[in-house]
Amino acid sequence: MAQAKLGRSEQVTGWAFVAPALVLLGIFMIYPIIWSLWMSFQVGKGMNLSFGGWANIIRLTKDPVFIRALVNTCIFFVVQVPIMIVLALLFAVALNDPKLRFRGLFRTAIFLPCVTSLIAYSTLFKSMFATDGVVNNALIWLHVVSGPIPWLQDPFWAKVLIILAITWRWTGYNMIFYLAALQNIDRSIYEAARIDGIPAWARFTGITIPMLKPVILFTTIISTIGTLQLFDEVNNITIGGPSDATLTLSLYIYNLTFKFMPSFGYSATVSWVIVVIVAILSFLQFLIARDRRPAA
Amino acid sequence: MSGLKLRGIRKSFGAVEVLRGIDLDIEDKEFVVFVGPSGCGKSTLLRLIAGLETISGGELDIGDKRMNDVDPSRRGIAMVFQSYALYPHMTVRENMGFALRFAGVAKAEIDRQVTEAARILELEPLLNRRPKELSGGQRQRVAIGRAIVRHPQVFLFDEPLSNLDAELRVHMRIEIARLHKELATTIIYVTHDQVEAMTLADKIVVLRDGAIAQVGSPLKLYDDPDNLFVAGFIGSPKMNFLKGIVDGSVVRLPDHGNQTIPLVAKAAHGSEVTVGLRPEYFKAGGASQLDVTVEMVEHLGSESYAYARHGAGDVLTIATQNDRELKGGDKLSARFDPAKALLFDPAGQRIR
Repeated sequence: MAQAKLGRSEQVTGWAFVAPALVLLGIFMIYPIIWSLWMSFQVGKGMNLSFGGWANIIRLTKDPVFIRALVNTCIFFVVQVPIMIVLALLFAVALNDPKLRFRGLFRTAIFLPCVTSLIAYSTLFKSMFATDGVVNNALIWLHVVSGPIPWLQDPFWAKVLIILAITWRWTGYNMIFYLAALQNIDRSIYEAARIDGIPAWARFTGITIPMLKPVILFTTIISTIGTLQLFDEVNNITIGGPSDATLTLSLYIYNLTFKFMPSFGYSATVSWVIVVIVAILSFLQFLIARDRRPAA
Repeated sequence: MSGLKLRGIRKSFGAVEVLRGIDLDIEDKEFVVFVGPSGCGKSTLLRLIAGLETISGGELDIGDKRMNDVDPSRRGIAMVFQSYALYPHMTVRENMGFALRFAGVAKAEIDRQVTEAARILELEPLLNRRPKELSGGQRQRVAIGRAIVRHPQVFLFDEPLSNLDAELRVHMRIEIARLHKELATTIIYVTHDQVEAMTLADKIVVLRDGAIAQVGSPLKLYDDPDNLFVAGFIGSPKMNFLKGIVDGSVVRLPDHGNQTIPLVAKAAHGSEVTVGLRPEYFKAGGASQLDVTVEMVEHLGSESYAYARHGAGDVLTIATQNDRELKGGDKLSARFDPAKALLFDPAGQRIR
């Protein structure tokens, strides 16, 4: 009896400790998520909402701006994530070489961008890549280009600029994961490979990459989610322009809610589109990276 | 020919000199064991031979070819690591065949080699498993298999049995000895375990502080050590060392109640010496004797070790075969043949 009582009081104490966090999570996370799902079926402007069934989903298929944002987001994701992952891997392998001098300095330099403020670096990029900014001036001075590149005015170059910016910001972040994983690999595996006469490229593709596979999968999913939610950079550097060339889904949601005549229901629908895409892509990535055993 | 010749091999890491001039000849098909306490440089020496570290000074020849600056993969060696160093994402078959893929060997030939190595090492049922699905002993056999398929002139083993439990270690020790017979190649084997060294080696190289303390066959090192270090390192339980002072034709043992034993080597009157007596040198019927009091006895079945001392002197280990009744507190006259006693000068060198 005494023990059961003690157990109950312990349970009460336990729940009491967890309760504040649960309440806050419930109010600020779970409730809004469920509410947004409900909202995605509402139509109407401002607070003047009514249930619309599939109306928002039908509207999606006929909304050229949404399609534009979706295509842009996919371009960013398809082009940027592989570039960044490969870069981060190469940096990590290079910086893991104990013979490299000033390793600490390089590691810090590459990691530093991801601790800078999003707004600060976006603003800086905007000024650096202006028509008469340092980047264009430097390129002209180096005779790489004859005239300034219209980074912010041309749809193609604006996309390039956004990809450059997020790659600069996030490569170091991914590199840290790879570095940590590399340092966990037993050095004698590489020594055994050297004695076995495995060439350097094959040590990378045949040993390093397979051993980093779980980390690569993790960073790919994290980066995919990050890119699908891309907002700060496009909002600050290009504001989605020129002519929606860098408009992303997140920015479109923001515009639908706060810039245009508020359309809460429809923007909730677009938000859930991101959720569905992330879920599908993550599932696909798990499927691709699954541990496949050779047929025995 | 796949003998090795080491001449004045030196290795420094920054200001620290780890190997201070190693001269050594290793014959073709010889089983050589580097043994010594941790930090003596035995693993470093092996890594220099493997080419995993650069040689700071001296000359290394493998099979009459200068190898100082040759890439590890072209030295005709294969190495088995303490941690096994298997490729974790590959099956046993892939682990063993990986090197051959890059040596331009045809696929059918790789299969044949791997199957052959698996047969020798009894790994056939495990060929499609990954390292994490194997026991320690099986992993070690895969590591050896990976070395075998390359048909090296010289096998290098870096403490291969240290990660195994005691029983498996004995089993693998016998396996490695069998393998040496079967493959008939040169083997260089690093260990800190003197039992492994004694049981496996044709030739033992005892290293201490980056220099060779003595080279010789196991029994030569056991019976005829050149110095105190080797005398103490080889043999289990350890050799007893007794402080003595030469007094005419006898050695007086001040820590053992000034008992005396006959002087068996040339030493000046009044000089300090160390007398070395192995525990098993004590036998009934010996011409000399030490009177001691037993403190503790360990009965191992086949023999017993008595830990005994005279007064406040150092504890002596005495091995007895037929004294099962012996117990703490007993008085014992430990008899031994004085001709077997080893004498060392104060610098630790043997006086013969």
